[in-house]
Amino acid sequence: MIHLQGVSVVYPDGTRALSGIDLQVDRGEFAFLVGASGSGKSTLLHLVYRELTPSEGRVIVSGQDVASLPRARVPYLRRNVGVIFQDFRLLPDKNVWENVAFALDVLGASRKEKYRKVPLALELVGLSEKEQSFPNELSGGEQQRVSIARALVNSPSILLADEPTGNLDPDISWEIMQLLTRIADRGTTILCATHDRVIVDGMRKRVVSLVGGTIVRDARGGGGYDEP
Amino acid sequence: MNLSMVEFLLQQTWQAIRRNGLMSLATSSNMAVALLILSTFFLATLNLQHMANVEARKANITIDMADDADAAKVEAELWGDMRVGEVRSRSKDEALEEYAEIMGGGDTEEFLAALGDNPLPNAFIVRPKDPQDMAAIAKAARSIEGVSDVRYKEQVTGKLLTLARGIKIAGVVAAVLMSAATLLIVSTTIRLTIYARRREIRIMQLVGATNSFIRLPFILEGAFHGVMGGAVSTILVLASYSWVHAYVGQHLNFMELVYNSTFAVLFGLGAMVCGILFGVLGSAIGLHSYLREI
Repeated sequence: MIHLQGVSVVYPDGTRALSGIDLQVDRGEFAFLVGASGSGKSTLLHLVYRELTPSEGRVIVSGQDVASLPRARVPYLRRNVGVIFQDFRLLPDKNVWENVAFALDVLGASRKEKYRKVPLALELVGLSEKEQSFPNELSGGEQQRVSIARALVNSPSILLADEPTGNLDPDISWEIMQLLTRIADRGTTILCATHDRVIVDGMRKRVVSLVGGTIVRDARGGGGYDEP
Repeated sequence: MNLSMVEFLLQQTWQAIRRNGLMSLATSSNMAVALLILSTFFLATLNLQHMANVEARKANITIDMADDADAAKVEAELWGDMRVGEVRSRSKDEALEEYAEIMGGGDTEEFLAALGDNPLPNAFIVRPKDPQDMAAIAKAARSIEGVSDVRYKEQVTGKLLTLARGIKIAGVVAAVLMSAATLLIVSTTIRLTIYARRREIRIMQLVGATNSFIRLPFILEGAFHGVMGGAVSTILVLASYSWVHAYVGQHLNFMELVYNSTFAVLFGLGAMVCGILFGVLGSAIGLHSYLREI
């Protein structure tokens, strides 16, 4: 599903963000990317949704070489890759329903399609009751669930999460992780960058550790933050 | 592009215009002022040219003949000049009738009685193909045997054409300056809209909206300012122009202005189209410099 081969990223100022990355994440797999700030976690995610192109190597997503994708084709890649962030990135002047529907609006979905898909996504994240609320009326966990609903409403086969629990309390973080697990169980590939040790240790999923832009450990069978 | 897409785009555009209310008003107003100035220059040039053409059609040279001249020979020589478009002969009697008419429509007999004999010469009235050749034709005609005098009005036509040319040049300069200012203002407004909507744009990019879909509301916003500016300037220009037309008709009726309903409609459409072009181009400039990456 996601396949990086010999990938390096060097920023224009000469900073080497990633070097010699080989990584394969299969369909429906849930993997954590762990490491300190600046270890290259976010850079790796950026490669998958073509926010960045690698300086060397190949990035293959759903069988497509993302680096050589013409710019005009990037939107179509992104329809297949949902992304969520630490800061949720919701639109403050739109309510929950509208925030989720926005992802369909910009793809020209019909009214009928929206009324079919938005309630399903909200039900999946457990926010059916709050569809009329505005982001500022929601807790951090609820806001993150809205952003997950928005990322999933187009049924992408990949969900990238960049520090999804960075702004959340431990209890709420745990709820979000349970939600992501349920999503992975439905067949969505999840790649989650985090430095939340408690979460990673508790989940016992695959853990890919990055240090200084290289993979130092890949606990494929499931592991904790530090130990195999 | 389906109906819900169109609905969404229009909604986005309208929201952006409303959100930047004052700036939108300033942009539409500026567009109106720019089009107003351009329209004024256009109308002035158009009318001066029109008047010059009307005058040019009246322009002619009167070639008086000596009493003993061979009319046929003179006429043949006049026709020999390639610049001559028309030669009409006017006899002494016709000249007197015209004179009598100009003097108040009296009977020619009375004039003859007063003058004793008809002092007016037989003449040819020559109309040049191009009014610019007036002086050259007159000069050539003077040397024809049997011609006693050559007269033509020192041309207003030339002066009108010179004036029209001057106004056209000033108009072009004003057009260039105003266009640049308008484009600058529209593109700045669009940049502000882009800035105000950067979060939405970012999310649109993330969920896979195409670049053209992201750009379209901004282009529509530019076009909106063009339509508004075009409409306002057309109303103002046509209202004042019809007043000028009425005034000229009443007080300066030797002047003739271009004016009819087809002209008004075409003028309005022209202003609208210019406005839309300005708006769209301004948006494109704003988008180009701020959204290069999308």
